[in-house]
Amino acid sequence: MKHARNEPVIEAEGLEKRYGTVHAVRGVSFTIPAGTCVGLLGPNGAGKTTTMRMIMGLSRPSAGRLRLFGVPPGTLGRDLRSRIGLVPQEDNLDPDLSVRQNLEVYGRYFGIPAAEIGERVPKLLEFMQLAERAEARVMQLSGGMKRRLVIARALIADPALVILDEPTTGLDPQARVLIWRRLLDLKRQGKTLLLTTHYMDEAQRLCDRIIIIDGGRVLDEGTPQDLIGRHVRGHVFEVTKPLPPGFDDDGLEREDIGDAVLYYAIDPAELRRRLPAEATYLHRTANLEDVFLRLTGRSLREGG
Amino acid sequence: MRAAVLPALTRYTYAVWHRHTLVWRRLIWSSLTSNVIDPLIFLFAFGYGLGAVVDKIGGMDYLTFVVPGLMAHAIMFTTSFEATISAYARFHLQRTWDAILATPVTLTELMSGEMLWAATKGMVSTTCVLTVGWLWGGVPDPAGALLALPVLALGGICFASCALAATAHAKTWEFFAYFFTFWVTPMFVFSGVFFEVTRFPGFVQALAWFLPMTHLIAVVRPLTVGAPLDAWATLGHLAYLAALSAAAFALARHRFGRRMFD
Repeated sequence: MKHARNEPVIEAEGLEKRYGTVHAVRGVSFTIPAGTCVGLLGPNGAGKTTTMRMIMGLSRPSAGRLRLFGVPPGTLGRDLRSRIGLVPQEDNLDPDLSVRQNLEVYGRYFGIPAAEIGERVPKLLEFMQLAERAEARVMQLSGGMKRRLVIARALIADPALVILDEPTTGLDPQARVLIWRRLLDLKRQGKTLLLTTHYMDEAQRLCDRIIIIDGGRVLDEGTPQDLIGRHVRGHVFEVTKPLPPGFDDDGLEREDIGDAVLYYAIDPAELRRRLPAEATYLHRTANLEDVFLRLTGRSLREGG
Repeated sequence: MRAAVLPALTRYTYAVWHRHTLVWRRLIWSSLTSNVIDPLIFLFAFGYGLGAVVDKIGGMDYLTFVVPGLMAHAIMFTTSFEATISAYARFHLQRTWDAILATPVTLTELMSGEMLWAATKGMVSTTCVLTVGWLWGGVPDPAGALLALPVLALGGICFASCALAATAHAKTWEFFAYFFTFWVTPMFVFSGVFFEVTRFPGFVQALAWFLPMTHLIAVVRPLTVGAPLDAWATLGHLAYLAALSAAAFALARHRFGRRMFD
């Protein structure tokens, strides 16, 4: 069964999940077109993991409609299941096996013939810059190498859809940059990527579209630029308290964050004119982090 | 209520089994130590030590009596350990199961791979005991002993399925203390490894016949010593092992299904 190129890879409509009295996902709708990279962002407990589990077919929706390649996840046949590659949040590599064996073993789970696995493994090792460590045992690898191996493993069956759950959490900047480059390569190859992350710079750099969820609902979605324009205008002035006495902030988009007030402006020159000379402030261009904090609030979430 | 799930034999089951063989080959020395040397120590201690004290048992010398018992014990212990402690490590600690379930492999195939691997590892142990026992002169009927191997394999499938059913209920490592005390140890002492079940009072005998080990030894011992087998009784023992395997596997599958999927 062939999936048409222009059909969405994932379609969710009014998706809900209840665990007893806990309503983890409360009516989430989105579509993920083929060949795009979509970021699913939200604080801990927002419903991201539950949504991902439903997409992976590990969790059955309590209500709503979910389609992967046009089919409900629970009824995906082997041919469609093998078109999905998962990069889980926690490294569940085989610690006792070598880097190469981890890929070979995983290829067999997809029913790929041994000869074909033999051809793909060196290419994947090369692609993720692991060729020199092919015979190393997983327990000898650094955190960044393990992540690269988990990504290589997810690519063993040449999937159309790659789902990445916090792919660079805990890595140093060099390791993150390398992974980002590879994910952009995958996008260029026409793969569809769905990723969750807590790093807004990562989302901004990789994602064509962002879905922000919290409390089990979609708060907003769009391109990073759309979201920035819609919620934080483009420029942020962080004015330290106490606010200067002559400052008239009538009609300005403002948010009190405790020891300072944030002002969001489209035209920075206009706001700068209104600020008195004695005001202490920091001006910067608005980014996705501002959007995220604005939409999901600034209070800490339980469950780290 | 869905129908009970039986083990599946597919190339995906084989892929899981194959993964375990690769890890086993990586860790071969520690594996062989516990799965081969251990039962051989038992064989030496009981065959040599007890054999000197016990003159005849059931009309045969003690070594002949104890070799089939220790063959059954080797597969029972190795298989039970592999499908509890090791399987739980893959399920809970290493999250290997999560990694596998993100592929086209189904939970039934994954569990079938676990079950068959545990039985395979048990077969390695039991074959070593048989070989050494035969070289030592404790196997009067080598042809019968070869016939006992498939029976032992069925026993291994049964022990593995029961162990997986236990693992499916485990929430912590401590849980396995109960499994070993109330399941493995009774099969070690009450099922006829070291002496005949008939030595026990009636109610212990009755309980012993609930244990798959008792049925396994009841078939394996006559085969290795070359004693006649009653056809109907043998069929009954084998049927018990097969039925218990199927029931335990279905229970394990049901329980793991609820743990892996929601």
